[in-house]
Amino acid sequence: MELDDFKNTWNEMGSQQKETPMVNLKKIDIMDKRKTYSVLIKILLPEILGSAICIGCAIFMGFNFYTLDTIAYQISGVLGIVLCLILSAISLMSIRTLYHPVDAGKPYAETLKEFAVNKIRFCKLQKINFTLSYLFFVTVILLLPKILGRTNFEGSYLYFLCSYTLGYSLLLLFSKWVFRSYNNTIRQTETLLNELAS
Amino acid sequence: MDKKEKFIAAIKSNEGILYKIAAVYTNDKNDRDDLVQEIIYQLWKSFDSFKHQASFSTWMYRVAMNVSIYHLKVAKRKISTVPLDEHFLNLHDTDSSDAEEKWQTFKQLIDSLNLLDKGIVILYLENKSYEEIGQIIGISSTNVGTKLSRIKEKLKQQVVKQ
Repeated sequence: MELDDFKNTWNEMGSQQKETPMVNLKKIDIMDKRKTYSVLIKILLPEILGSAICIGCAIFMGFNFYTLDTIAYQISGVLGIVLCLILSAISLMSIRTLYHPVDAGKPYAETLKEFAVNKIRFCKLQKINFTLSYLFFVTVILLLPKILGRTNFEGSYLYFLCSYTLGYSLLLLFSKWVFRSYNNTIRQTETLLNELAS
Repeated sequence: MDKKEKFIAAIKSNEGILYKIAAVYTNDKNDRDDLVQEIIYQLWKSFDSFKHQASFSTWMYRVAMNVSIYHLKVAKRKISTVPLDEHFLNLHDTDSSDAEEKWQTFKQLIDSLNLLDKGIVILYLENKSYEEIGQIIGISSTNVGTKLSRIKEKLKQQVVKQ
């Protein structure tokens, strides 16, 4: 079977639905009322939420910074706040790559190129995000008992052993899957970009 | 004829194309319906920018295919758009016909192609000339010819594998 053999299948597919028009005056009126901004918010909500949580964490740590009484804790605190802010910035940067308004008149290859570049950028940002989350995880486990005033956990080897072992095992499994998937996506997209350039 | 009526008439004479493009870029009915809605919305939104330098269908192919690329990225985030009539686009859901089987075979093959090749195949099946394909895609007609030969070869190998 060759590509030309599918021409009939292709033509049949398009000729079957004729009963109801795709668009009418009523639908146009509804489309006119549709607000691009509200659609955008829905699409970008997970990233916006992620950023808000990170900023919230940074503020929370900032307000409780006084509870960190040793240099080691204070360094961890500063690191935690900085990481939170970087993570939220990365999330916001991802938003730009995630949704791009369609330029109707652009040739397909140009849109495809733009899409591929954005996709690679998005995957790379997510990889950085994930790596930084590891580091953030270390500081959170270290700081949490202190900030929450659970002094009985401070020197508890059991607490640290359990938290780090469990947390890292889960993160390791998840990151393996995430990185494999992102690496595949990046490889495929780069191949597409090479083809577009040829 | 006012702008709205012109738009409705233009879509009416090309709705089969929109449906087929949406079906190629999506894997289920809901996504396909969403994509058709999104394409129509984007076409309507940019209808003023259609300057008649190209034919309406050429312009529509560009918009539809450009929208489809971005829809892939946001499909999982479910955009809520203008609902279509319920009995619209209800084909190919009830399956088992010969046509459905052929379409599924075709879909499987076309899904093995990258987005650029997918676009070229769509236009080729629409009986567009190499020049028109080049114009819509934004590559030279010689390049279209080369790519099409490669695509045909690739699909042939896919069929043999299956």
